[in-house]
Amino acid sequence: MSDFLKIKGLKASIEGNQILKGIDLEINPGEVHAIMGPNGSGKSTLSSVLAGREEYVVDGGEVSFLGHDLLDLAPEERAREGLFLAFQYPVEIPGVSNINFLKAAINAKRKHQGLEDISAKDFMMMVKEKQALVELKQSLANRSVNEGFSGGEKKRNEIFQMAMLEPKLGILDETDSGLDIDALQIVANGVNKLKREDNAFIVITHYQRLLNYVVPDFVHVLYNGRIVKSGDKSLALELESKGYDWIINELEPA
Amino acid sequence: MSKQDFLSQFDQIAAILPLQGKARAIIHNGLDFPTIRDEYWKYTRTASITNGIFKQNNPAIESLDGYLIPALDAHLVVFVNGEYSKELSNSNLPQGIKVVALSEASASDKDAMCEHLGLHINSENQAFNTLNTSYFKDVAFVKVEDNVEVTKPIHVLSICAGDNQAVNMRNLVVLGANSKANVITQFEGEGNTDSFTNVVSEVVVGDAAKGGLYIIQNEGETTSHINSTQVSQSNSSQFSVITVTKSGKLVRNNLNYSVNGEGCESNMYGVYFTRDNQHVDNHTYVDHLQPNCNSNELYKGVMNDKSTGVFNGKIMVQREAQKTNAFQSNQNILLSDTASIFTKPELEIYADDVKCSHGCTVGQLDEEATFYLQSRGLSKDDATKLLIQAFASDVMEKVEIEALRDSLETFIHNQFAV
Repeated sequence: MSDFLKIKGLKASIEGNQILKGIDLEINPGEVHAIMGPNGSGKSTLSSVLAGREEYVVDGGEVSFLGHDLLDLAPEERAREGLFLAFQYPVEIPGVSNINFLKAAINAKRKHQGLEDISAKDFMMMVKEKQALVELKQSLANRSVNEGFSGGEKKRNEIFQMAMLEPKLGILDETDSGLDIDALQIVANGVNKLKREDNAFIVITHYQRLLNYVVPDFVHVLYNGRIVKSGDKSLALELESKGYDWIINELEPA
Repeated sequence: MSKQDFLSQFDQIAAILPLQGKARAIIHNGLDFPTIRDEYWKYTRTASITNGIFKQNNPAIESLDGYLIPALDAHLVVFVNGEYSKELSNSNLPQGIKVVALSEASASDKDAMCEHLGLHINSENQAFNTLNTSYFKDVAFVKVEDNVEVTKPIHVLSICAGDNQAVNMRNLVVLGANSKANVITQFEGEGNTDSFTNVVSEVVVGDAAKGGLYIIQNEGETTSHINSTQVSQSNSSQFSVITVTKSGKLVRNNLNYSVNGEGCESNMYGVYFTRDNQHVDNHTYVDHLQPNCNSNELYKGVMNDKSTGVFNGKIMVQREAQKTNAFQSNQNILLSDTASIFTKPELEIYADDVKCSHGCTVGQLDEEATFYLQSRGLSKDDATKLLIQAFASDVMEKVEIEALRDSLETFIHNQFAV
C-alpha cells in the first residue's frame, strides 16, 4: 500500500451546511484522477478542504498525505509538503510582484526542506524555463500577481506557479472553466509535461473536454458529497454523452 | 492647567526675531488652543499637550547611530531640541545652495530668511503655529538659488532628546525659480518620554521649480507631534509632500498648499502605521487659486490594536481656478476590531470647469489573498507583511530617494514581523 494520499470518510461543512458527506479516495504517485460531478456536488469544497481553507469545518474522517495528517497542517505547511491548488478563481494582488512572491514561496519551501535560498541565477533560469512551458509572456511574470490578467492568463499563471513549485500533488480546481481551446491546450500541455512517476494530479472539472488533453487514469463522479461512481477514462466519455442523470437515477430509483 | 501656566513654561526663551514678540502677544491674549469643539480638531484632543509639564533642555547627543538612514547620501543638518548642532551636521554644499541655521546666519542670510519667515504660515489664529513662531530657538533655512539643481537630498534631522521636553522646530525652504531640490525632515526621539514636538515648515516654491518635502515621523511612543506645513507655489512649479508616520503617541499633521500660480502640480502623499493607543491625524488643505493646475492626493493607513486615525482632506477650487484637476483618495486597513479611522473628504468648488474626485475606503486585509499566498507556502505572517507592503506600495513608489524608500520598506517589513 502506498502512503501518498489517502482520504477516508471525509466530511466537511461550511456555515453549518454539510457539503462533503463521506469521501473515500486513494491516490498513488504517477496517477491522474479526474473528479467530475454536477454543480453543487462538492467538487470545489473537496479541493478547498484539502488545501486548508479556513471557512470549511471538517466534521469527520481523515486525510493522510505522505505520512502526515494533512488536516492538522496549516495551509502553508501543506504547500511546503508538496500540495498545490490551482485556484478556480485566482486572486488579483496589486502591488505584489509575481516573481518576488514566487521566490518567497520557493524559499519558504526550501527552508522547510533544510535547503538554502535559491540563487538569483538559478531562479531566473527556472523562471525562463517554466515560462516557456506554459507559454506565459515574460511581461506577465514581472507584473503584480494576476492584476489585469485575462481569464486565460490567470489560469496559465496558476500552471506556471505549479511548475515553479514542483508539487507532489497538484489539484486543478476547474482550471478549464472559461478557457478557449488554445488556452486549454496550453494548460493541459503544461500538466502533461509536469507529470512524473513521483507526483500525482487531481483534475476537478465540469466537462469532459479537458480530459481529451490530460488523460486521467481514474474518473470519479461526485454527487451530493460522496463519490458515487468510479471508473477509467471511458466513464468521462459516457458522462459527456449521457449526462449525470443516469447515475443519479441508479442511486435514487424513481 | 491654564493657558498662561502652560505658556509660562516657554517664556524664559529669548525672542530672537521681532515676529516672535508679535506672536507672543497674540497667544498670550485672545488666541486659544483648539478643542474638540473646533470642527478641524473634532477627533483630536490636545489637552494632554496643553496640560503638559515641559522642560527646555539642550542635551548633547553623542552620535547619530540609529538615526541616520542607511546608504543615504545627503547634505545633513542636525537640530537637537530645536537648536542647530554644528558638530553633528555635515554639509559640504555646492554653489547656489544654502542650508544654514538662523543662529549661524550672516546678516544677508538673515535678511533672505526674513523675506519669507512667518509670512506664509498662518500664525494669527492657529495656536500651535503661533506657539512655534513665539518660541522657536532656531530656524533651519534651506535656500536654493534660481536655476540650481540640487542632486543630493537635503536632510534636516531633528532629534528630541530628554524626557518631558517641548521643542518648537522651525523650517524654511525657499526654492528659487527653475531650481530643483528634495528636502527630508526626519524626526527622531532619544529617551524622550512624554515630550512634545511642534513643527512649522514654510516652503516657498518659485516659478517652474520642482521639489519635494519628506516628513518622516519616528519619535518615541509617548511623544506627541504636531506638524504644520505650508507650501506656497508659483507658476508652473511642481511640489510633493510625502508624510510617513512611523511612531508617536499623538501625531497631528496639517498640510496646506496655496497654489498661487498657473500650471502647477501639487502632490500630497502619506502613509501611517499605528498600533497600541496611538492617534494619527492628517489634515490637508489645498487651495487652488489659479487656473490649469493639478493636485493629487493619496493617503494610506494601516491601523492595529486600539489605535485611531483621522484623515480630513479639503480641496478648495476658487472662482479663478478653471481647468483644475484635483484628485484625492484615502484608503485604510484595520488589522484589529478595536482600531478606528475617521475619514472625511471635502470639496469646495467655485469654478465651473474643473475635474475633481475624492474617495475613501476602510477595510480589512483581503482574506482570500492571504489564503492564496499561504497556499503557495508563505506563512500567514509573511503573507500579511507582503500584503501590507503591497498596500503601501503606491505611496512608496512616490518616494524618489532610493535609500529612503529602502529604509521605509524595511520598516514596514519589521513593523509587522511577529
